[in-house]
Amino acid sequence: MSLQHYLVISSILFTLGIFAVLTRRNAISILMGIELILNSCNLNFAAFSRFVIPLEEVEGKIIQNIDGQIIAIFGIVLAAAEAAVFLAIILAIYREFGSIRPDEVDTLKG
Amino acid sequence: MVVPLISIILLAPLAAFTIFALLGLAKRSFPRQDLLSTAAMLVALGCSLYLLKEVVPKPDPHTVDWISLGNITFSMGFYLDSVTVIMLIVVTLVSSLVHIFSIGYMHGDPRYPRFFAYLSLFSFSMLFLVVSDNLLGIYIGWELVGLCSYLLIGFWFEKDSAANACKKAFLTTRVGDVGMFIGMMILFWQLDFKTFSLYGEGGIFSAVATTDDKLWLSIAGILIFCGAIGKSAQVPLHTWLPDAMEGPTPVSALIHAATMVAAGVYLTARMFPILTPSSSLVIAYIGGITAIVAATIAIVRFDIKRVLAYSTISQLGYMMLAIGAGSYVAGLFHLTTHAFFKALLFLGSGSVIHAFHAMHAHHDDDHADNAEHDHSLVHEHGSEIPPDQDMRNMGGLRRKMPITFITMLIATLSISGVPFIFSGFWSKDKILGGVLGRAMEWNSIHHYVLFGIALCAAGITAFYMFRLIFMTFFGEPRNQEMHNMAHESPWVMTVPLIVLAALSFPVVNHLWFNKDYVKPPPQPHIQAPQHAYVPSDTKIGFTLFGLSEAEAADEEGGTDTEQSDKAHHAHEVAHNIAMVLSIIVAGLGILLSWLFYHRRRFSAEAVATTFRPVYNLFWNKYYFDEFYDGVLVTLTVWKARLFAKFDLSIIDGIVNGVATITQKIFAASIGFFDNRVVDGIVNRVAEVTWAAGGRIRRIQTGAIQTYLFVVLGGIVLIILIFRAL
Repeated sequence: MSLQHYLVISSILFTLGIFAVLTRRNAISILMGIELILNSCNLNFAAFSRFVIPLEEVEGKIIQNIDGQIIAIFGIVLAAAEAAVFLAIILAIYREFGSIRPDEVDTLKG
Repeated sequence: MVVPLISIILLAPLAAFTIFALLGLAKRSFPRQDLLSTAAMLVALGCSLYLLKEVVPKPDPHTVDWISLGNITFSMGFYLDSVTVIMLIVVTLVSSLVHIFSIGYMHGDPRYPRFFAYLSLFSFSMLFLVVSDNLLGIYIGWELVGLCSYLLIGFWFEKDSAANACKKAFLTTRVGDVGMFIGMMILFWQLDFKTFSLYGEGGIFSAVATTDDKLWLSIAGILIFCGAIGKSAQVPLHTWLPDAMEGPTPVSALIHAATMVAAGVYLTARMFPILTPSSSLVIAYIGGITAIVAATIAIVRFDIKRVLAYSTISQLGYMMLAIGAGSYVAGLFHLTTHAFFKALLFLGSGSVIHAFHAMHAHHDDDHADNAEHDHSLVHEHGSEIPPDQDMRNMGGLRRKMPITFITMLIATLSISGVPFIFSGFWSKDKILGGVLGRAMEWNSIHHYVLFGIALCAAGITAFYMFRLIFMTFFGEPRNQEMHNMAHESPWVMTVPLIVLAALSFPVVNHLWFNKDYVKPPPQPHIQAPQHAYVPSDTKIGFTLFGLSEAEAADEEGGTDTEQSDKAHHAHEVAHNIAMVLSIIVAGLGILLSWLFYHRRRFSAEAVATTFRPVYNLFWNKYYFDEFYDGVLVTLTVWKARLFAKFDLSIIDGIVNGVATITQKIFAASIGFFDNRVVDGIVNRVAEVTWAAGGRIRRIQTGAIQTYLFVVLGGIVLIILIFRAL
């Protein structure tokens, strides 16, 4: 398993996410697309952290730098929080418009 | 001791007024303003009486600097001499009694507290006028009493006649005051004085003594006397005083009989040193003419207050005559005696009116429906006599109102000059004697004429005063309904009457006859004419009064040193002659009055018919009001119309023309530029912006996925650009 494998998986996830965000007609599906994008990013962080950053020697021990992996975990937490806010917004939009289809919510239309 | 006393005298009434005014600002009123004001006056009276004992007779000036302008310093100060103190006592005494009388008379009036506040303000102003030692201070007091007079004449301002009367009084006296102010300015301009006070070293009177300029002094004297003509209601500015009787009767007693109108006499007396022979003669003639004119008008009046008003004018004329004839003491003496008995007569008439007043109010209630109509009637005939003041409704009141009757009778005997036991006799005799004495001393035809006028006026005074008494108190009631309503007044009103009646007896004469106490100030510009001598016809007098021909002959051939002795002798003789003559004319007047109005031996109506033109002249008050209406008022109105026409046609024409030109030419062209050019630019800019906005807005679809697509495209583009670089 090399870095390339991870990056390919990550690219596939990202592309699927973008596709879902741009094409879905349901706000929940768009949310799911966003989650895919976020997770592709997390995967990248973890992968780069593992394969790109060199090992360090501190006080005679060999140590792996795990900053990228920690950021990935932060990303997951962020995604959870973002999902909660997004769902609340969707609920509010549903109450206001009676629909969660983004193309029907177009009051900003010029 | 003097300064605190004077301060108390001035500040007590002022404080009473100030309390009223300050509470008035807070929309409150002191519960017993009447007692407060009365107490203030009694305090002032007490202090004045103490002053009489304390300081006088030596003059006692106190001044402080008021305003400094360059090298001129205006000072304010007090000057106390015997005359000032006597005036203070007269003013405070009459004012106190009027306050007490008003408690009864004004009872139940809706503006009862205000009345007393005005009385307090008046008392303060009058006292300030009396004690001031300089012309500006006198002028300030002078205008303040004028203001109070205005406020009090118009006290019942709901009545049109009262509202008109107060305006008339204010404006008429103002005519005189302008003259007075010009006179003051001439004095300040022409004289070389160091301090502003009239008295003392470097004062105005010492400057007067050293100047030679008789012409300016005469002019200034006459102009200052103009103020006195207005204030003391002398001919030709006397017409306001009878109308001033529209005010409440206590006001008539205090202001328009005893004090304020006497201020003119007081001022003339204070100005005694600046008088020259010519200004003296003018003063004497105006006084004499006033005395006789007002007396003749009084004969035919039926309104009890109007009779007294004309009587006041006549008596004030007497005082002016005395001062003009050089009888300083006599004029001021008559001022004080007159203040007491005339205040008594007015308060007595007030008592009579008060007795009828319930009747009058009843009458008003009956005609409440016609109130509007009555009102217009009064307006049309401004001089209509109110029924409760009309002597033709009175008669037989002596049994109903004994105290009022007796006190008024005493005052009438006093003013008529009934000999020896009444004060009026002594003061009037002193005036007559003074005028005749001056005539004999100077052998002056003018003063003989004036003496004749004064003597006639004395007889007429006795006649019309007894006419008033006979018509009011004697005979049978003419209006039974009103007579039944009449009643004696309450004690607050009768006590002042009794006190004033006591003062109508010669109780204070000793002050005036004491030559060391009241000294006339010197008149540096009046000397006896060069050829003055005791004329031969006074020999008759000499013989009559027990001097032999030989003694009289001795008197004639006197040297200069004997001149003054001779003048003194002439005055004594003159006094004896005047006394006899005045007793005769007073007796004649009373006798005629008795025959006409009590015994009805002659009919007044028949006499009036016989002398119709003379009667009409008296009845129409010598047509003074008609003259002023016809000449001054018409001229003023005509002038005003002319100016109005000028304003309307020429001034308005110019203004309107300028306006039209501006409107038609400038405004139109500027408007065109604004509408077309400025607005055009603005509108075009707006149209372009609008059109552009209409196209650009299409970009905003409102669909979130479109935006996301564009964002994605943008990111891809950025990445590509960075790669290309």
